Amino acid sequence: MIKSTDLSKKYGGVTVLNIASLEIPKGQSFGLVGNNGAGKTTFFNLVLDLINPTTGCVINQEIQVNKSEDWKPFTASFIDESFLIGYLTAEEYFYFIGELRGMNKADIDAFLAQFDEIFNDEILKKKKYLRDLSKGNQKKVGIIAALIGRPEVIILDEPFANLDPTTQIRLKKLLKDLTVSSNATLLISSHDLGHVTEVCDRIVVLEKGEIVKDLITSAETLQELEAYFSV
Amino acid sequence: MIKQFINFEWKQFIRSSYFQKGIAIKILLVFLVLYFGGAALMLGIGLFFILKEVLPTLDPIVVVNNFLIYWLLFDLVIRFFMQQLPVMNIKPLMIIPVKRNTVIHYLLGKTVISFFNFMPIFIFLPFSIVLLSEGYPVLNVVCWFFATLFLGLSNNFLNFLINKSNVVFYVLISVLAILIGSEYFNIFKISAPIGVAFNALYTNPWLTLIPFSLMIGLYYINFSFIKNEFYLDDAVSKKIKEVNATDLSWMNRFGSVATFLKNDVKLIWRNARPKQVMMMSFLFLFYGLIFFTNKMYSDSPAWLAFAAMFVTGGFLMTFGQLVPSWDSEYYKMLMSQNIPYKKYLESKWYLMVFGVTLSFILSTPYIYFGWKIYGLIVAGALFNIGLNSFITLFGGALNRVPIELNVKAKAFSNTNGFNPTQMLISLPKLFLPMLLFYLPYKFINFEAGLFVLGFCGILGIVFKNFFLNKIEKIYQTGKYKTIAAFGEK
Repeated sequence: MIKSTDLSKKYGGVTVLNIASLEIPKGQSFGLVGNNGAGKTTFFNLVLDLINPTTGCVINQEIQVNKSEDWKPFTASFIDESFLIGYLTAEEYFYFIGELRGMNKADIDAFLAQFDEIFNDEILKKKKYLRDLSKGNQKKVGIIAALIGRPEVIILDEPFANLDPTTQIRLKKLLKDLTVSSNATLLISSHDLGHVTEVCDRIVVLEKGEIVKDLITSAETLQELEAYFSV
Repeated sequence: MIKQFINFEWKQFIRSSYFQKGIAIKILLVFLVLYFGGAALMLGIGLFFILKEVLPTLDPIVVVNNFLIYWLLFDLVIRFFMQQLPVMNIKPLMIIPVKRNTVIHYLLGKTVISFFNFMPIFIFLPFSIVLLSEGYPVLNVVCWFFATLFLGLSNNFLNFLINKSNVVFYVLISVLAILIGSEYFNIFKISAPIGVAFNALYTNPWLTLIPFSLMIGLYYINFSFIKNEFYLDDAVSKKIKEVNATDLSWMNRFGSVATFLKNDVKLIWRNARPKQVMMMSFLFLFYGLIFFTNKMYSDSPAWLAFAAMFVTGGFLMTFGQLVPSWDSEYYKMLMSQNIPYKKYLESKWYLMVFGVTLSFILSTPYIYFGWKIYGLIVAGALFNIGLNSFITLFGGALNRVPIELNVKAKAFSNTNGFNPTQMLISLPKLFLPMLLFYLPYKFINFEAGLFVLGFCGILGIVFKNFFLNKIEKIYQTGKYKTIAAFGEK
């Protein structure tokens, strides 16, 4: 599904990402972990063609992302708050994304109904602009919006950060169900080792831009990760 | 403590992004300030003699007094749109051990050091000096000068209050409109009784106490206002307005670009900065009045073409030149969502066409100046739609300055979304239509000029896809740079 070869990114001579080869098969839920500055967001930005690779390229379902825009219809993402339009209400934002993905108002309303639990009456029909919502609620809107229109690739950067414990647990369930039911490829990053091991089939550890571990999740994975990070 | 505050202020000034921008902008800003300051100074010196010349029967000070009220109202309106209030800065000061009163006094005192408060000094100080040199009584003139100063400062503090309440603002706007209207149509000369009052101010120096106490009064109203709201949830934090969601589904008839058009309408309606720009673009409609009524210009049709293009091009010039900066806050999302770049650009093009069309409809009263002028406006509108829109979009590709949507632009201190490249790119927008009109006019006749100008616009509309494809390529090339630039705040 997503393939990268010889992918690297340098800023002024400093290499922030250098991945010889990485292949994420369709339907996999893929987790990236690493300390600050490890290159997680850089990798996602490269997959989304938001920055230009210094060498190599990313191929998303046979499409080289910096050559053609054809990967956009089946790829959805939420990286940070700059993915939200601050002056819209949550509903308006969902309708906007819906229209971009060929869903009308009624489709979106039906789609949103299944997330009542996550929204917890704090987001819909609140008559508030997104810029006035709390960080956590903004994140919820962004994550749910990334699920609109049955995308085949979903990229979420630190989806658990800023969320309350209840929502974290609900989101974990949601993401697990998602990969099972829709066969979507899920790429997430997180600083919470517990969450990633629960959600992801495969976990890659980045350090200073390089892959240092590539694990298929098993019962021992969490311990292994904890051992690695407790230096 | 105050010393610390001033130190912070200085650091804020020299470390702010606008100050650290290119030397060209700095020079330009200094130039602008010097220009306006100089113009005010010249006006102040010349005012006495101009009035003497134009109205020899009246005492210049009386004339000035009669019109002082308009100056004050105008000043207030300009302040409302341009003067940035410093309220937001007190947040970090709330948790440190400083007396509340000190902070508030400092805050209000700071507003005094504003360009707007220096303008009256630039005008009225030289005017007063001229008065003195012409032998007017010293006490009266000095007191009168201070009275104008106090009134200006009263405006300064009143503006603070207006910004807290839309009602006060709209009341003020309507009062202004009615006053000028009744004055203009000779229904009721409101300036007369107010003029009498200001003249009384001049003849009785002790009355200067009134503006003085007005200023002090407004200062203390502000003081207690801020003091009462010196908590995070009131004055300091941004006001959370309840959304007034309007149904824009009727716009769906515009097809695939409707999604974006609806968003852009909300963008303009719900954010301070685009709203401000929108108001400015409305003023362009009146640009023609200056040119079409002035004998100097009405004899040189090239300038008329220039003005005609401005009449319908206000929105295009002011709003359009900041594409794509308007979307800078969520540009990453637009670039990774299911949006072909071309569609995005096309929607912006439609928005500008919409703006020009609306201005064109509003400019219908210009028929009053005759069909020739109106013909120029029609041709100018076509040119704006057909070519200027593309030039504007092209210029946008080089524009990589992020805009904070919900923050008003400050006069002379916020160069948000402004750069020298923009200036250069706007030159063809202004002079190309003049040239296209003037050459055929010179060698054939007026109608030929109109035809060529309008025809160029129609050509642009016909080759829309060609232009959009070319512009899209340029945007694609600069995409990463733009994303990176919009990312830094």
